[in-house]
Amino acid sequence: MTDAAGALEAQSHQKQQALVIRDVYKSFGGIHAVNGATFSVRDGSITALIGPNGAGKTTLFNLVTGFYKPDAGAITYDERSIFRKAPYTIARRGMVRTFQITKALSAMPVMDNMLLATSKHPGEHLPTLFARPLASRAREKDAVERANELLDTFNLRAKADDYAGTLSGGQRKLLELARALMTEPRMVLLDEPMAGINPTLGRRLLEHMERLRTEEGVTFLFVEHDMDVVMNHSDEVVVMALGKVIAQGSPEHVRGDQKVIDAYLGMDEAQAEELAKAQELRGDE
Amino acid sequence: MIESLPIAFSFDFLSAWDFWIGVGILAGIYGIFALGLQLNVGFTGVLNFGQAGFMAVGAYSSIILTVEVGLPFYLSLPLSAGITIIAALIIGMSSLRLRADYFSIATIAFSEIIRDIAQNSRGLTGGNQGTIDIELSNDNGFYTDTWYDASDWIQANLLDPIGLSDSQFSDLPLFLVIWTVLCLSAFALNRLIRSPWGRVLRAIREDEDAARALGKNAFSYKLQSLCIAAVLGAVSGWFLAINLESVSQDSFEPLYTFLGFAALILGGLASFGGVLIGATLLWVLLEGMRFADLPFSDDKDAALRFVLVGLILILLMAFRPQGIAGKKEEMVLGD
Repeated sequence: MTDAAGALEAQSHQKQQALVIRDVYKSFGGIHAVNGATFSVRDGSITALIGPNGAGKTTLFNLVTGFYKPDAGAITYDERSIFRKAPYTIARRGMVRTFQITKALSAMPVMDNMLLATSKHPGEHLPTLFARPLASRAREKDAVERANELLDTFNLRAKADDYAGTLSGGQRKLLELARALMTEPRMVLLDEPMAGINPTLGRRLLEHMERLRTEEGVTFLFVEHDMDVVMNHSDEVVVMALGKVIAQGSPEHVRGDQKVIDAYLGMDEAQAEELAKAQELRGDE
Repeated sequence: MIESLPIAFSFDFLSAWDFWIGVGILAGIYGIFALGLQLNVGFTGVLNFGQAGFMAVGAYSSIILTVEVGLPFYLSLPLSAGITIIAALIIGMSSLRLRADYFSIATIAFSEIIRDIAQNSRGLTGGNQGTIDIELSNDNGFYTDTWYDASDWIQANLLDPIGLSDSQFSDLPLFLVIWTVLCLSAFALNRLIRSPWGRVLRAIREDEDAARALGKNAFSYKLQSLCIAAVLGAVSGWFLAINLESVSQDSFEPLYTFLGFAALILGGLASFGGVLIGATLLWVLLEGMRFADLPFSDDKDAALRFVLVGLILILLMAFRPQGIAGKKEEMVLGD
């Protein structure tokens, strides 16, 4: 471990940050999708990640959860580095994610989708499946109970035996969130959780997030375009534009920030291009 | 009247027990072979086009260990299964991270490399036209003779008492052993795929990234799936060697992998029971066609058998894409 990473870990411990991202870079060919992003997510908070289309939000999610390998930077979660770790390793440490385009496992029943997410299941490994069949069965029984509770919460209980592919777009979104919660996560990353969900279910989802945060201390980081949701339901807002974090703070603070207003309203495509060029000229990649 | 028809069909074979037992043995061997393919293709989404290569490794290594090294036949079986697993690990660890279609190309290359080695290392395998003489003796007996002893025991203790002692039942013990292994393997795989372990496999088939996001090491599961398929390939290789009483490299051409796929598609993807149906149907078709008295030369006749299988597969795809025992939902539901 480098000294910088060590210092970063100490810092994250002090401030009780769940996730600390520092100077993370990722480019695809000549495109700097994430261009030195730095921000942190407080433990037990609901943090929104916003920004115009193409700001690099989803890329950042992929970098944090291990689906992309960052070019440079440091990422620590729960005081340990998760920089360039494999997705399943990061998930097992308690950080799970959902996808912008839902990944419901279509040809599997809804219940199997849920049970799949059970963590530390002895039946999922051949040696323990054979050596400890009773432990496997007990874990499975608990998992079914937990899955039913979560399916109840998200109005999916009646669909438990249906194939996930028969669900509507909104229901798949809910299933994906329920499945993520099934892993008993400490931190959840949601990519546009509200998109395509009817307002009633959306409220239910938000209430559930707030309850999990309050009762179990789960940390949430979510990408969202619905500003009502962002302003009313998050403790903190991180704003990204052109691969960089341009502001971080309370919803009120961010709302009044001139840079944020520019990023969202004031900048047309020509200006954005100019800014990108200027940054490149500065060697700011 | 019948004689005047251009295409005549002799139905004598329908009553010939030895014919049906022979067909059953082939169906059983390629059924075990195709069970492995089903686990890979139907349940894990791993496109294994190299199953014939694993069959070759299993057959050759068990024979070499018995005939050349001089180990007892029954010890050579688990050892050759181990060697096949090592082969699966080598091909899997080097290529399973590739996208599914590239992996499938790598597996064809692997099986052809195995076949080329078998073809050219004459001292070890008998080389191109020669076949390894598996009836050669060693201190522990013979490869096939060990089987004949077992066969005689089955004949004397199980078949003779119920009156199946006619010479046309001489291959019945092999048939029974193969089908017992086939049915037990299908049953075990069926249980396994319904376990939490199998659930992870099916999730990887559906969407590898979703499985990884939920903490599953997709690569490790794909490797396990490939190793189990390889062992099934090795088992089918042992039975092939016993049935043919010799092996040569042309038994392991990619054609046989694709015949396994044909059985898979006939029976239906994502069903182990379907493999039994598909393999039986395929070999009844292929062998039954031998009795069709067609107005062609023999080689055209032989080629026509595969044309017919192809035609049936095309019709099946058009009218019943899920195969005979497959689930339609698992075919048509996608994101």
